[in-house]
Amino acid sequence: MTLDVGTELTPVVKELTQEKINRYARAGGDGNPLHTDPEFAARTQFGGTIAHGLLVLAYLSEMMTAAFGQAWLSGGRLKVRFKAPARPGDTVSAVGRVVRAEGGRTVCAVECRNQRDELLISGEAACPAREVAA
Amino acid sequence: MPPRLDTLANGHQLPSLAFELSPEWAREYVAAVEDGAIGALDGEFVPPMAVVALGSRALFEGAALPPGAVHLGQEIEFVRPVRRGERLTASARVVSRGERQGWVLMGIEMNVEDQGGLPVMTGRATLTMPAGGEREA
Repeated sequence: MTLDVGTELTPVVKELTQEKINRYARAGGDGNPLHTDPEFAARTQFGGTIAHGLLVLAYLSEMMTAAFGQAWLSGGRLKVRFKAPARPGDTVSAVGRVVRAEGGRTVCAVECRNQRDELLISGEAACPAREVAA
Repeated sequence: MPPRLDTLANGHQLPSLAFELSPEWAREYVAAVEDGAIGALDGEFVPPMAVVALGSRALFEGAALPPGAVHLGQEIEFVRPVRRGERLTASARVVSRGERQGWVLMGIEMNVEDQGGLPVMTGRATLTMPAGGEREA
């Protein structure tokens, strides 16, 4: 399969709820009250609970797994910045686009946005190449 | 009681954490992140971000995250696929620390190795948090 520069990856779209955040906190062992305690979180600069960054990153990783298969698990690289928090009630869309081939890897610009088109995460993901047409 | 993360000095090595990726835990993780793609591969593979989550657990068990800590950035490399039932060891180390106007900016390197001591995941997290605790010498 050839992934041309400019190819859009199939997006992953998830509805976030407090229950999903709580479930991730239990599975991931991250009980930071910023994620799970609405009363505590209301007193922070965020004004309410927010999703774990690694939960939202898991949506990006799912998109890369769907696009690249086992190659993503065998040398995939991800470098992102968290720009804004994802909150319960948000619809999070993980999207990506092939931007170049570099060092035997297919490099994609990736990001997550919410339903208001606010940027939550941005960065790059690089995967051992399947062929990339320039 | 573990020390507060914001008090740790640059170079501080957190205690390693050994764990097994039990099938039950893997199912719980896949359900939590609603990963619909991993099942299309070898049925024994776990989502690679599950290994990152467990690497982070090593961090949380070795240092208390101060209230108000925020994850600013993340770098990850997945070295090889990981299967259910594997035993892994996660470690974390403070690799940078700065403080300004009452906030700490910290880089933490995370590594996860298999039973043979070979890496399966490497990464680096950047966090900021209020400086509140007494600093490590």
